[in-house]
Amino acid sequence: MKSCIFTGDVTYKDPCRLRLCQSLLRNLYSGKWVELVRHHVSFDFFYGGIQFNFRQHRPLKITTMGGVLAASSPNPPPPVTSGAAPAPGLTVPPGFGMPPVSPVIPSTGADPGQQQEARTHLPNPGAFDECHRKCKEVFPIQMEGVRLTVNKGLSNHFQVNHTLMLSTMDDSSYRFGTTYVGSKQMGPAEFFPVMVGDMDNSGSLNAQIIHQISSRIRSKFAFQTQQQKFVNWQGDAEFRGEDFTATVTFGNPDVLVGSGIIVSHYLQSITPSLALGGELVYHRRPGEEGAVMSLVGKYTGSNYIATLTMGSAGAHASYYHKANDQLQVGVEYEASARMQDTSVSFGYLLDVPKANLQFKGSIDSNWVVGANLEKKLLPLPLSLVLCSFLNHRKNKFQCGFSVTIG
Amino acid sequence: MTGPESKKASSPGVMNWFRSAYRFSTDRNDFRRNLLVNLGLFVAGVWVARNLSDFDLMSPQPVA
Repeated sequence: MKSCIFTGDVTYKDPCRLRLCQSLLRNLYSGKWVELVRHHVSFDFFYGGIQFNFRQHRPLKITTMGGVLAASSPNPPPPVTSGAAPAPGLTVPPGFGMPPVSPVIPSTGADPGQQQEARTHLPNPGAFDECHRKCKEVFPIQMEGVRLTVNKGLSNHFQVNHTLMLSTMDDSSYRFGTTYVGSKQMGPAEFFPVMVGDMDNSGSLNAQIIHQISSRIRSKFAFQTQQQKFVNWQGDAEFRGEDFTATVTFGNPDVLVGSGIIVSHYLQSITPSLALGGELVYHRRPGEEGAVMSLVGKYTGSNYIATLTMGSAGAHASYYHKANDQLQVGVEYEASARMQDTSVSFGYLLDVPKANLQFKGSIDSNWVVGANLEKKLLPLPLSLVLCSFLNHRKNKFQCGFSVTIG
Repeated sequence: MTGPESKKASSPGVMNWFRSAYRFSTDRNDFRRNLLVNLGLFVAGVWVARNLSDFDLMSPQPVA
C-alpha cells in the first residue's frame, strides 16, 4: 500500500475577498484526481510528494525525488516577503518573491560598521518546497471532464464550496468543502489559524490545519481518509530564521507498528542571490528502514530563478524566466536514476490582465502538448477554464472544462 | 603509397565512429543517450527563454 507525504505552505491573503486554490492531489488509492477547486479564499498550496508518485500536471511521470509540487494557482497572491522592497527600476510581478538585495553603499560618508552590516545581511531563502514552485506555476494543469464549482462566502472567516465533477475516464463525484480563517493576524494580510477541509460523496476526507505558532514557527497538520479509514496523516513544523529555513515533517507515524516517515529540510542563504540546502528522508517500517538525501541549490537573478535538486534518486533542474509583465517562461529537466528515465518540459504563461485572460502552454520530450486557458467573465463572478492535452506518441487526447461561480 | 593506404585505414575507423555515434543518438532505450539529449534540450530551452522571449505583446500594432 502506497502512502503519500504532503509538504506544503499556505500564504493567505486578503480576508475580505476570498479566493482559495487547492492544489491538485492524486489519490493513489483510488486513482482519482482530487479537484483543483476555486474557492473564495486566496491560497497557495504546495504539496511535495516525497519518494512517492506525485506529479501534479504530469500523471504519467513517476519520480522518487524529494518533492516540490507547486500548487496551480492561476493568479497566486504575492507572498509576504520579509525583505525590502524591490530595487528601483525592477518590476516584481505578483507572486514573484524577490530576495532583497543589499543596496550599493556609497564609498564616501558611510559608516564602515553599517557597510559591513549591510553586506552581511542575508534574506530568508523561503521554504524548501518553493524552490521549484515558480517554474511549475508556468505549466498548465492536466484536467479531464467537466467541473462545476460554486463558492459561497458566509462571512469573512468562513466559506463553503460545492464541486461537481463529471468525467468519462473516472467516476463522477461531488465534493463539499469548507474553509475557516481565524483572526490572529501575523502579517499585512495573513490570518491564522487556517482550516481547510473537503469531503466527497463516498465519504473520503481531506483536511488541513495551518497555524502560525509564533512569528517564526508555522505548523501544519494534514489528514486524508479513504471513506472511513485514515490513509495519510502528517504534521510538520517550519522555522524561518533570518537567513535560513528549517522544516521537519512526520508522515504517517505509527508508534504501535513502529513505522513512519521523517522528512527534514534545510535551506540557507549563502549570498543574497544564492541559497543552498538539503533534504533528508528517513522511512521505517517493520523489517525495513532507509534514508534518502538530496541537495538543492537556488540562484535568483533579476528576472529569473534557476534551481537544481540532486540526489541519489536523480536530478531535477528548473529555470524560470520572466520576460515581461505578460510573458513568463519555464524550462524543467528531470532525470530519475531509479526509473531510468529523463524528460524535459518547456512551458510558458501569457497573462493579459486587461482581457482577464491567462494562457498556459507546454511541450515536453515525451511529445505531450498541453494548454490551459482561463478567462474571468467579468463583471459576472464567473471563471472559465479550458484545458487540453495531447500525447502524440501514444495518440491520446484529453480535454477538460471548468466553470467556477463565486 | 602509404598515404592513400593510411587514408583508407583511417576512413573505416572514422566511418565506424560515425556509425556508433548515429546508433547512440537514435537509440531511444539508452538512458545515457536520453540524458544527454534531454540535457541539451534543457540548455536550448534556457537559451530560448533568455534570448527569444522579450517581445512585448501589448505593444501597438504597426500601421500598414
